[in-house]
Amino acid sequence: MNLLSPPGTKLALMGNEAIARGAIEAGVKVVTGYPGTPSSEVIMTLHKFSKTLNIYVEWAINERVAFEVAYGASLTGLRAMVTMKAPGLNVASDPIISAAYSGTTGGLVILVADDPGPHTTQTEQDSRWYAKLAKLPMISPSSPQEAKEFTKLAFSISEELELPIFLRTSTRVNHSIGEVLLGEVETLSRFPLFRRNQQRFVRAGMAWNLERHVWLNNQLKKVEEVVGKYYLNKVYGDGKLCVVTEGAAFNYVYEVIKEHEVKAKIIKLGLLYPFPSKFLSKILPECDEVLIVEELDPYLEENIKNTLFDLGLKIKVYGKTTNHIPLEGELNTRIVKKALGLPVESPGKHVHVHPRPPPLCPGCPHRFTFVALKTAIFRSGLKLSEVPIIGDIGCSALSVYQPINMLWTEHSMGASVSMAMGLKIAEYDKPVVAVIGDSTFFHAGIQSLIEAVNKRVDLLILILDNNVVAMTGHQSTPAWDKSETGRILKPVLIEDIVRAIGPDELVIVDPYNLDETTRIMEELLLKPGVKVVIARHACALLEKRLGKPLKTYTVVDERCKGCKSCLISTGCPALYIEGGKAKIITEDCNGCGLCSKFCAYEAIRLLEVSG
Amino acid sequence: MKPLNILIASVGGQGGLTLARVLATSAVLQGLSVRTSESLGMAQRYGSVVGYIRIGEEIYSPIFEPGEADYLLGLELNETLRNLHYVKPSGKIIVADEYRPSYEMSMASPNITRNEVISEMLSINPNLLVIPARKIALKLGNPRALNMVILGVFVGLSGIPRIEYVEKAISEILTGISAEISVVAFREGLKFVTKNSLNL
Repeated sequence: MNLLSPPGTKLALMGNEAIARGAIEAGVKVVTGYPGTPSSEVIMTLHKFSKTLNIYVEWAINERVAFEVAYGASLTGLRAMVTMKAPGLNVASDPIISAAYSGTTGGLVILVADDPGPHTTQTEQDSRWYAKLAKLPMISPSSPQEAKEFTKLAFSISEELELPIFLRTSTRVNHSIGEVLLGEVETLSRFPLFRRNQQRFVRAGMAWNLERHVWLNNQLKKVEEVVGKYYLNKVYGDGKLCVVTEGAAFNYVYEVIKEHEVKAKIIKLGLLYPFPSKFLSKILPECDEVLIVEELDPYLEENIKNTLFDLGLKIKVYGKTTNHIPLEGELNTRIVKKALGLPVESPGKHVHVHPRPPPLCPGCPHRFTFVALKTAIFRSGLKLSEVPIIGDIGCSALSVYQPINMLWTEHSMGASVSMAMGLKIAEYDKPVVAVIGDSTFFHAGIQSLIEAVNKRVDLLILILDNNVVAMTGHQSTPAWDKSETGRILKPVLIEDIVRAIGPDELVIVDPYNLDETTRIMEELLLKPGVKVVIARHACALLEKRLGKPLKTYTVVDERCKGCKSCLISTGCPALYIEGGKAKIITEDCNGCGLCSKFCAYEAIRLLEVSG
Repeated sequence: MKPLNILIASVGGQGGLTLARVLATSAVLQGLSVRTSESLGMAQRYGSVVGYIRIGEEIYSPIFEPGEADYLLGLELNETLRNLHYVKPSGKIIVADEYRPSYEMSMASPNITRNEVISEMLSINPNLLVIPARKIALKLGNPRALNMVILGVFVGLSGIPRIEYVEKAISEILTGISAEISVVAFREGLKFVTKNSLNL
């Protein structure tokens, strides 16, 4: 697969790769964002072409900073894009909402990936409401091909309207592979220029703000006409039943209606905000009934009802508010068939199989940290049920599953330290532990730590530093000295930040030294003040990927008594029980040796050093 | 051509998604329409992973529903059993003889054995082939090539996509030594079909 293939080439591309190609075709110059499933592959794909195409493509510390960087770049007239998952938009929302008043000159595309299901996200957030809140246009593709087209067009639309634009996607578009026909690459030779215009760009003047609000509302009135040129809204088929849909849901609607030859008109909306009422005012009067098939909230439904009211049409509307389409979870053809009163296939026999939730990986340093913490709690005469472990987003949250089973909460980026602090402020009388990963600390944990230190609470804070954004597929952090594109970076070290903030204790430990880690935690758990432990050991999977020689362990069958201690103590996915005996999947074992520490029969032995 | 629905059941890290990618790329090289999707549980390894692939003349939906799979390709026995309800009554199952119980499966007592998983699957759908894929991959020196052995068996049996496109797709997607081993493993899968006169 060569993303730089000439126009006319047809490639099998994942939605996110198609978006990357769309950005290349539009001549983008600055791309930044924060990793988050299902949005990360856009930047990961573009990284490879940063040098060849002279594009700035780098991860930012968080979504807010990313947006501001992209926004600043777009004000020089260059094209910029920022990528994030839905909760990232919450982080970036403050500057985005202000940017609507000032507008942009170069095209600025905000990619936000929603996650109906949800598959990999803490909520089923519907980011379509943000377009309405921020008063910025939003478009939404249904397929990898459209993902590419819409991305490219988004830059032009943004420039024509002088407004940042949302490109809103969902998991079944971002992570779906489909055939994509490549288009022309625009060659823009723009010189970065930023013209001073305080009325436009300074939001401290209230009269100016009022003036810009009028300007923004006027721009919004032009959106439907500007976007109309590109035919993002489409109509398929004919009939008195009208099915309104958008995004991934369109695919299910189209297939069901085609397969069952339903006499219906499919109205597929590519423009989500401002709501294309003019377009719909020509179609809705011909409908006897309207079914709305959309994922997440009844966003289209509310808008369609408003439009019908304005048109003076009394047409029955079916959708989420009539329980034809569920309010939670993602859609599929089965749901669409049921909503249309069509028969559904009966599935084969469903056999119950024990679940396999994602565990911490073999060799994960976090496993050592949690085992040490557990031991320290016991040794301090405390119960696991009375020491809240306030967790954070990232791999460390996988400790919630059996048998590690440590986290009490996992909430939002950076919330661990501040929520833990809240418990102590409320005078919770047992020790409280906050657990946060290195990249989450960079992203949103620093202010929380300042707050905790400044207010002098008693808190044990564990920063689990595996030197990478691991959960989303090994992206760089600000601690790196070189980025994915080869850019030379000035590493910002966590211990320097923590020292500058000034907690009462700071210890850096390698969690692979289990005894030392346990001893330190035991010593600090009951001590007063803010105590920070940086548990530092590189992500085992990253080490493996980088080709570091790893050890492998094996089970000596005749020595294994089948007590399962190794498994109960670690929950390592390279271990399993067959025929009453422990086994190790050698190609998955990363040689940390933690399981061998718990074998009383010395049945787990070092096999070899490979690399 | 009616859309062909293929489900890949695996444990994260086994290469189920790479297998989906190879199938999708080779189908596009052959001029077909394709959509894939996945269910990861979470964006990390070692959990249950399901990949959906749909190949045809004009495909829109990247997923399909239980009871709609023409083929279930299993890289692990328990995960294949878990997803058996996806298979059509006329659908077929190709599964690697790979047994990796999860933590909870291992802790269950008694835990379901390799043979019990196979016989349970056979009792539900007899259109099942168990392939010694790990043994074949190990002979090539890399147990991780198990996914490509299963791909070879699938292509050998179904004739979709055409062999030359699959090999081209493998070398486009994978690089260096893993591409070489993968092509060999794929061919071993094809050979396994002819050598044993397999059909489904």
